[in-house]
Amino acid sequence: VYQVFENVAKKYDVMNDSMTLGIHRVWKDILVHKMNPCPGTLLLDVAGGTGDIAFRFINYVRSVRQRQLQRKLKHHQNLSWQEIFESYQKDEFNPLGDSQVVVCDINREMLKVGKQKAQHLGYSEGLSWVLGNAEELPFDDDKFDVYTIAFGIRNVTRIDLALQEAYRVLKPGGRFLCLEFSHVSNPLLSRLYDLYSFQVIPVLGEVIAGDWRSYQYLVESIRQFPPQEELKAMIEDAGFFKVDYENLNFGIVAIHSGFKL
Amino acid sequence: PLRALHASAALGRASDEHRNEPLSSSSQQHFDSPPAGHQPEQQPQGPRPSYTGQGGQESEDYESEEQLQHRILTAALEFVPEHGWTAEAIAEGAKTLGLSVAAAGMFHSDGSELVLHFVSECNSKLCKLLEQEQKQVQLGEAEKKPVDEFLRDAVEARLRMLIPYIEKWPQALSVLLLPRNIPSSLNLLTSMIDDIWHYAGDQSTDFNWYTRRAVLTGIYNTTELVMMQDSSPGFEDTWRFLRNRVADAMTMSNTASQVQSTGEAVVQGLMGAAVTVSN
Repeated sequence: VYQVFENVAKKYDVMNDSMTLGIHRVWKDILVHKMNPCPGTLLLDVAGGTGDIAFRFINYVRSVRQRQLQRKLKHHQNLSWQEIFESYQKDEFNPLGDSQVVVCDINREMLKVGKQKAQHLGYSEGLSWVLGNAEELPFDDDKFDVYTIAFGIRNVTRIDLALQEAYRVLKPGGRFLCLEFSHVSNPLLSRLYDLYSFQVIPVLGEVIAGDWRSYQYLVESIRQFPPQEELKAMIEDAGFFKVDYENLNFGIVAIHSGFKL
Repeated sequence: PLRALHASAALGRASDEHRNEPLSSSSQQHFDSPPAGHQPEQQPQGPRPSYTGQGGQESEDYESEEQLQHRILTAALEFVPEHGWTAEAIAEGAKTLGLSVAAAGMFHSDGSELVLHFVSECNSKLCKLLEQEQKQVQLGEAEKKPVDEFLRDAVEARLRMLIPYIEKWPQALSVLLLPRNIPSSLNLLTSMIDDIWHYAGDQSTDFNWYTRRAVLTGIYNTTELVMMQDSSPGFEDTWRFLRNRVADAMTMSNTASQVQSTGEAVVQGLMGAAVTVSN
């Protein structure tokens, strides 16, 4: 798995766009929207290499924070000028409202690409980059508000261990969110999807990234991955409650959600 | 449903029984220690508030998801004046209970559950109040009120519960009117109206059941709307409006009973309607 992603790191984003025809951006947007984070949330994004989820999270929290500040200003009608000035100062220095993202990945190359992207796009604060294994996270218990793993969990050898680790590092009340390829139940769509996956994607892999084998692996690992209900049961086994999933695009992708209660 | 992983197997609650089956099948897939000892080993951290019945702790800590959600929503009400009926208020509520703000994700992001929870709580409070009053009458400690006074007091008591949240109440009303929420909100409204009539007792108002419900619903809804815009001290304008509406309803009812007996009562009925309209 490590080598697959070593090859793939630099071309990862380009390949994502071409394989999914850009829809992966929408899927990730939906994931963050579903999370609906409020300022002050601490997010752990596992297998988040190039930072897609992290950047979306920061954007979302920033805009929520701005709306919050605007609403606060509307209520500042009876304060003295001094107090208003002080609150401006305090809030200007806190555009994220203390929210933070820790991006954790097993692969150094992916993290490097992520850091470069962050710099390039101008994300400076609220981000941390940590090298780590999803099956054995280098974090203390009860630390994070939200744990996300987008298109990463199928690459984990022992999914149950990763789920247990997720449970461990989440605070009570914390949320687990998993965005992953899943099973299409509609038979017609399933056939079209299979056709696309096995014929088109490896070819794209060869043409764009010069690596047919990694993408062949990718497509096969998607087929091997447990379907929605099974993954839901596994998440429940790890101790999560209110586990549910939402199919996107008829099951091509599914978002699973659970709470540590 | 809550997985009763723990000692609660011994509690023998009906709801636990079907959950014990999936437990025994999943325990075969577990590489770790058997389920009974599973949870405590996983969470050895100190005195963390446990929302699920852990191995050693028995039924006092046992709480279903619904009960926990109930507690979060109740805690969230405190933050409604500041944040409105939103996921933010729910997040703040969760924080006061020691949970992560992400727990607000259990609910809809538009705050529907918070409003519905509040309305249902108010209705329960009203019921308790009316029941107490009824008991007092039965014990002879209080006099039985005439229907119009009873209705007035009941509606006023119920509407007074809105006062702490009155600024954000228009927002709550709009949430209750969302298509998704209409079945629930309608249900809550009708059951409250029914309760009020139930405690009002059967007086000879000569309305049939549907008419009574409709009349009181009309009175309640219109008074609620008036209350939204009322800036008089102690909402006295609202209570005056309420008094007038209840009086009109009584007039109409008296009129209706005469219609059944004499022909000229039709004229009186028209007169009553004209009076109502002119108010």
